[in-house]
Amino acid sequence: MNAAALSLSPGEAPDHPRRSADLIGHRAAEAELLAAWRSGRLSHAWLIGGPRGIGKATLAFRFARFLLARGDAVSHDVGLPGLPGLDSGAGPEDLALAPTHPVFLRVASGGHADLLTIERQVNEKTGRLRSDIGVEEVRRLGDFFAKTAAEGGWRVAIVDAADEMSRSAANALLKILEEPPARAVILVVAHAPGGLLATIRSRCRRLVCRPLAAEEVATVLSRRAPALTPPERLALSHLADGSPGRALALAEQGGLAAYRDLLALLETLPDLDLAALHAFAERLARAENQALFRLTGELLSHWLVLVVRSAAAPGLGVGDGAAGEQPLIVRLGRRPSLDRWLDVWEKVNHILERAESVNLDRKQVLLNIFFALARAAQA
Amino acid sequence: MKLIIERAVLLSSLGHVQSVVERRNTIPILSNVQLEASSTALSLTATDLDLAIVEKAPAKVEQVGATTVPAHTFHDIVRKLPEGAEVELTYHGAEGRLTLRAGRSEFSLACLPKEDFPVMAAGDLGFHFNLSAAELRRLVDKTRFAISMEETRYYLNGIHLHATKSGPQAVLRAVATDGHRLARVEMPLPAGAAGMPGVIVPRKTVNELRKLIDGVGDGVKVSLSDTKIRFAFMDAILTSKLIDGTFPDYERVIPSGNDKMLEVGCKDFAAAVDRVATISTEKSRAVKFALDKDRLTVSASSPENGSALEEIPVAYAAQALEIGFNSRYLLDIAERIEGETASFAMNDAASPTVVRDGADEGALYVLMPMRV
Repeated sequence: MNAAALSLSPGEAPDHPRRSADLIGHRAAEAELLAAWRSGRLSHAWLIGGPRGIGKATLAFRFARFLLARGDAVSHDVGLPGLPGLDSGAGPEDLALAPTHPVFLRVASGGHADLLTIERQVNEKTGRLRSDIGVEEVRRLGDFFAKTAAEGGWRVAIVDAADEMSRSAANALLKILEEPPARAVILVVAHAPGGLLATIRSRCRRLVCRPLAAEEVATVLSRRAPALTPPERLALSHLADGSPGRALALAEQGGLAAYRDLLALLETLPDLDLAALHAFAERLARAENQALFRLTGELLSHWLVLVVRSAAAPGLGVGDGAAGEQPLIVRLGRRPSLDRWLDVWEKVNHILERAESVNLDRKQVLLNIFFALARAAQA
Repeated sequence: MKLIIERAVLLSSLGHVQSVVERRNTIPILSNVQLEASSTALSLTATDLDLAIVEKAPAKVEQVGATTVPAHTFHDIVRKLPEGAEVELTYHGAEGRLTLRAGRSEFSLACLPKEDFPVMAAGDLGFHFNLSAAELRRLVDKTRFAISMEETRYYLNGIHLHATKSGPQAVLRAVATDGHRLARVEMPLPAGAAGMPGVIVPRKTVNELRKLIDGVGDGVKVSLSDTKIRFAFMDAILTSKLIDGTFPDYERVIPSGNDKMLEVGCKDFAAAVDRVATISTEKSRAVKFALDKDRLTVSASSPENGSALEEIPVAYAAQALEIGFNSRYLLDIAERIEGETASFAMNDAASPTVVRDGADEGALYVLMPMRV
């Protein structure tokens, strides 16, 4: 075991954003932060919004490190002419900090006294991650900002992710946002900013992170999961809707194989191969396949979105698919009307949600879904 | 890094620093203590991200270097080693391990790199002055009991240390309050402290400082800026963050026109209050004072327990007065009074009372009465 592996806290992935030196994509968001820093009037709170797994926290940690290492922008950072020959004249071009920089190392180890990360904690009783960020956790912010900076500069707090906060935790965060301390920045990461309290949203400057392009996702995959082949990477990028985090999760859970299995069945629409369908549903209903069932549900929902899109705008095509599903989607998209497919999409999502929340019989759930699809495709 | 150090020396230094390290930590580096060997000494650093203590212990150093090891495990090991043992510490950088040898025992401890360890940068501390251990102990002991525990008024969660004028004399003052009582202690301003910013030293720092005063004694060099404070003893240095807030204008709550003077023998008074308070209910712990010419009647009653009453001879010449206090607060103050007598200056049952120490002119306490 080496030293780097030792410094992981239990339950934390080795590629936690606090340790990630690269940022793929998000150039516009990065430039916006940099410009705000240069202006010398940095907003005290930023709401970094965008789909899950696209690198919002990576961007937040990148900015935190930059701010902790650099402090305030000085004249030559702003691009004012310096003394000739004394400095380069140009300020930093991005928020990157070398992984060997002392601040980088301390942030990576969790040992930077001026950076506080609010995230879900491991429940000591069960050893599992809690399902939400509790109010106790958010109250640490108050204590943190009540004290001066340990290293003399800025104090940065990252809330990752705000969507996970309980109601009382959100109110506690609001209290901090209402009376922001000086030389402090709060970076609020949110997968669905619209779901946060309006009062929180209105007190933060919005920073929008967009899903990555398929090539960018593939780049992340090539670094994080080098074992994948290039076609697999590309297929995963399409399947993940521009979210490298989602793509990695899919790769880990065998998402591609599950998607192919699913497509093999869907190919037979509108006439279902009943024997194959029963075998498929039987397999996913087994106790050990609970995770696979959930994954298949997600993939099915993703696939339906493609069909809906194709039905909505037949001329646009469906772009590059993940596993050669385009002809099928185009074929189905032509069939009934758009609202018919929307209904099915809504119904399928509803059933899947119910299956999860009230523990429905999984085989029956799948059969129901496929029969609904078949009916829609026949119409 | 390679060195040999006496077990007793290592244990005492480690004992001072390890208490800072939180027992429960989800971040591994924060459970560690940093070891750094210079040519003649081993420095141990521990931190909780709000304060850091560095302690130097003499050691025979063969090779300089630095690393970090789990603080509590390391402390437990050293504690369990036989008395009089010599401890050999060797850090193998390549494997990230620290080997500890003493007699026939050998331990290998997992290390984390020194670079991961938090830094409490003192930065540019503009003001420096010296205090004796006794002076610092007095400032701390006579005020820290009044520090607020309430988190919403975070600026009261510490001792306010500042330079000011008391009449014509320049003084260094320590003030703490929780809104119900206030303690103010002053001493002549030490050289170098003139013009220093008023700072609020957090409660935990005060408590660790108090332990260090007893542990390592002698004089202290205090350095501070508006964001950091450092207490440098001979072999130990405590550096801490400050509370980032403004201490309220406490002078306004210290009444100056109280004319009903009461003088009590401190020991008898405290014992009587303590006895009577036994009966008062858990939460409020209220006791009632009934004052008449040279006589104080302390009483308490509770619907569940019954009642208690005790009469104490005192010096009191003003008109009769009834006033209630929280007995816990009275005892806290009585405990800090060094002299034989304590004097109370009162106005009425609803205004703050000032308590002074017969033997310490520089100490003053303000106490809000309770309605009983």
